[in-house]
Amino acid sequence: MLKALVRFQSMDRRWVFLGMAFSIVIPMLMPWSCSFQVDRPVRALYEQVDALEAGDTVFVSADFDPASRPELEPFYRANLHHLFQKDVNVVMGTLWPTAPPLVLPIFEEIAESYGKEYGEDWAFLGYTEGRELAIKSIGASVRKSFPKDSRGNNTAELPIMAGLDGASDFDMIISVSAGFPGTQAYVLQIQGQYNLNMISACTAVSAPDYIAYFDAGQLTGLSGGMPGSAQYESLVFADGPPEGARLMATPNMNVLNLGHLYIILLIIMGNIAYFITRAAGVES
Amino acid sequence: MKRTLPLVLTFIVGLIMVGEFFIPHHGYREMTKELLEWGVIIAAGAFLLGVVNLIQVNWPVIRERRPEWIYKVAMMVALVGTLIAGFIGGESRLDQGQGFKWLFDYMFVPLNATMFSLLAFFIASAAFRAFRARNTEATVMLVAAALVMLAAVPVGASIPGVGEYLVAIKNWIMSVPNNAARRAIFIGAALGAIATGLRVILGLERTHLGGD
Repeated sequence: MLKALVRFQSMDRRWVFLGMAFSIVIPMLMPWSCSFQVDRPVRALYEQVDALEAGDTVFVSADFDPASRPELEPFYRANLHHLFQKDVNVVMGTLWPTAPPLVLPIFEEIAESYGKEYGEDWAFLGYTEGRELAIKSIGASVRKSFPKDSRGNNTAELPIMAGLDGASDFDMIISVSAGFPGTQAYVLQIQGQYNLNMISACTAVSAPDYIAYFDAGQLTGLSGGMPGSAQYESLVFADGPPEGARLMATPNMNVLNLGHLYIILLIIMGNIAYFITRAAGVES
Repeated sequence: MKRTLPLVLTFIVGLIMVGEFFIPHHGYREMTKELLEWGVIIAAGAFLLGVVNLIQVNWPVIRERRPEWIYKVAMMVALVGTLIAGFIGGESRLDQGQGFKWLFDYMFVPLNATMFSLLAFFIASAAFRAFRARNTEATVMLVAAALVMLAAVPVGASIPGVGEYLVAIKNWIMSVPNNAARRAIFIGAALGAIATGLRVILGLERTHLGGD
């Protein structure tokens, strides 16, 4: 028995990997429904977006890449649906060079599904380099930070930009952030200086950092990782997703369920084996 | 002169940018806007330096067939191939059917996603091997981590009779001990950044100029 426990503690990690693979693949192949509650920061985020009025303009900073796509794309899509359903104008830019090929096709697809006019109702300003410096520059002037949009038009001449220049001219700043540069840099560089109404969707690993900004009121809403995206989807698509759209995060909540349970099980079993072998004076 | 001019420039620009927080004048804001635009242009220019640096570092490894030189070849081919595809595509490089878009969709996306996905497997392995209640501190961390993990997913939050308490404990851990520790780190780092910024502006910190 003790030998088996010692062997268990030092088992080949490929067995651990195999268990994790099953925990991920099984819920994908055999999906089942699971209910979940909506956390306070996600509800606050939804209410902030929902309080926007037709004709308001938001600046979306889409700062994510394919690695963080499963966590953030569901939020990004649901958020665009939410904004366009309310006839809010959307100006988007990014600080991540890998983002435009990912975010632009989705932006175009959703804007077109609502019959929105480019330049009037939505605009994609592309990528700008400079990281924190670029954020500081966005705070002062979006027009100067992105002199041309992704179609080669002068940003200042786009009808959607009429009367808008600095970040504080926008009704809301939405940071969809997979790391640096992203939400944290926005909060540190310009949120306080310009007293911006700012919400964030971040990866699950960043959420413990950003909850401090939410509690302090620097972020007025926060969605963390796939659970946050699923909760937001449940609010935006309360009556089901619109035609052509589908829930992306909600069906994958079971992957998180089983994956987390598997890790917790490993920790518990590892500790039981550790205590039994230690009590018997056997070195693992 | 080579050292004095950058120090004087840093001092003047640093002072102007700090002044932005204290001088709410339209003209002053226009000046800082201009400076920030220059900064973004300089940062974009640094991309070119990055490419040159990448070639300078990797080309000798390939030429002299040093260990693992073949990986450098793959990197250089990817660099040059992506650059060419981007230039050929021009402003329509993100359209379907363009080489740049193909490289992004069928090379970068799967590779990038795969690298990040591996994290789940390594976290499972690391949690199994390293998460042991060896002493009081490790036990506190272990229990807190397990509770937060369990309450963060629907299955934990919906355990009959226990789920709501789990969620309340998770929220308390995140809002009180987590926030206290994070804020301490943030404030400490911010004070350090202010001190470094002041040293740079005043010319006491000169490592960014190279040399000593």
